[in-house]
Amino acid sequence: MVLNSLNLILSILIATCLVILQETMSNMFWLISVDMPVTIGVFVSTYFSNLLLMNGGGAIPIVALIAVGFLIAYTVAKILLIWINVSKANAYALAGAAAIMAIVLLMPLAFYNLDVLAGGRSILGKTILVFFGLVSGYYFGKSLEKQRV
Amino acid sequence: MRKRILISIGLIFSIHLIASEENYAYETLAEDLSHPWGLAVIDENNIIFTELSGNLRIIENGKLNPEPLSGVPEVLFAGQGGLSGIILDPSFNDNKRIYIAFSSPDAGKKTNTLEVVSATLNSGSISNVKTIFKASPSRRTAAHYGARMAFLDDGTLLITSGDGFNYREQAQYLDNHYGKIVRINTDGSIPQDNPFLSNTAALPEIWSYGHRNLQGITVVDGVVYENEHGPMGGDELNIAEPAKNYGWPAITYGKDYSGATISPFTEKEGMEQPIKYWVPSIAPSGMAYYDDTLFPNWTDSLLISALVPGDVRRLKVENSKITEEEILFSDLGRIRDVASSPDGTIILATDGPNGKLIRVIKK
Repeated sequence: MVLNSLNLILSILIATCLVILQETMSNMFWLISVDMPVTIGVFVSTYFSNLLLMNGGGAIPIVALIAVGFLIAYTVAKILLIWINVSKANAYALAGAAAIMAIVLLMPLAFYNLDVLAGGRSILGKTILVFFGLVSGYYFGKSLEKQRV
Repeated sequence: MRKRILISIGLIFSIHLIASEENYAYETLAEDLSHPWGLAVIDENNIIFTELSGNLRIIENGKLNPEPLSGVPEVLFAGQGGLSGIILDPSFNDNKRIYIAFSSPDAGKKTNTLEVVSATLNSGSISNVKTIFKASPSRRTAAHYGARMAFLDDGTLLITSGDGFNYREQAQYLDNHYGKIVRINTDGSIPQDNPFLSNTAALPEIWSYGHRNLQGITVVDGVVYENEHGPMGGDELNIAEPAKNYGWPAITYGKDYSGATISPFTEKEGMEQPIKYWVPSIAPSGMAYYDDTLFPNWTDSLLISALVPGDVRRLKVENSKITEEEILFSDLGRIRDVASSPDGTIILATDGPNGKLIRVIKK
């Protein structure tokens, strides 16, 4: 139980760090494209600043948003696993992907098509974010499988 | 960081934050208005104004006409969109022409854009409605239209066009109208001295660029002042000039609403600095220049209405520097627009579904 909770928290933190990495990269790559002096130092300091501010200085802490999404998606996955014969890693990977997809697709509907996560404005950006959800969910499912072994 | 601190200390000592020495009172001109947004003062007893929900209203001889003016084009009333900016023609007394900016739904209504029309004001209606500007390309969002206007001394019309929120990077490119001030003649044609006319990659209407959501613009002795919303922090007051790049979003003093850093840079060569910026945001919403003497302490000041927390900022600008700043009318809530009347009083539009038009009079 304790281990499950720890893995759940880790999976949420992995997703949070990856989503913020994508947001940072999206902004930095564009700045580079218009000849702004983005160095590795600027990139790293911006990423760490984003880790702090996107979880405590914005409208909604991104970690809380992801946690809610993952909790709902993982619960649904757990219920479905009773009837569907699929590996936990794959099931939770899909659940993680679905959670992030819901966040990037549903949030704009609530805000007149405004993408609050700027990194998710393009189809490529949305795809990358969903992939990161998949990776985080896969980690969680795999950790559950390891416990059983 | 050290530079920012030094600038902040410098500003503290160079700007005189003063308490108002004027005695004033409020007189309600109209109430229960549906999101009043833009207002234009015809004379001291006649004011025409927009409601974001799509109504064009008029106060005639000091009384609100209960019926909205007819003949207004269809508007998209959603998010921040709707019937927005309004301005009188410089020769209004002779030609009765007005100009209205609004968010206009495209066919199929999945996209929309900023549109400006000219029209003739009649009793109870407008007529001869003609589209003179449509921002390109259209957008899927219903935010950041800009939609304010001002006339230059040569009779050309400046229109503010916001970045559409999702399209912020486009403010740096000249092949679109996102995040721009555009300049056109009142018939919609392009002035032959527009700054990017010879640039075939640029849209010919563009006058300045690198803006975000410009909600106030006024011209004082040929100097164009514009204020714009930053994201979370970084609202700006700029002196706008042709062909200049105001930096958004490559440089900014604000953060994204998610908390993310949009840009870690606040300055770059070739990009203009604001003459003032606000962190945290005040959400500047309209601007007027007060040159009357009814309130002598306020003469020759910029008045900027603000939505957060809700007040009017009075700023005195000398040699492109703010020399005085004062917070006025902070007991009215969110203020959407401000104008000065020929009798020296000040007209305010409060924001929201139960908005008011208020006249500030001498006590």
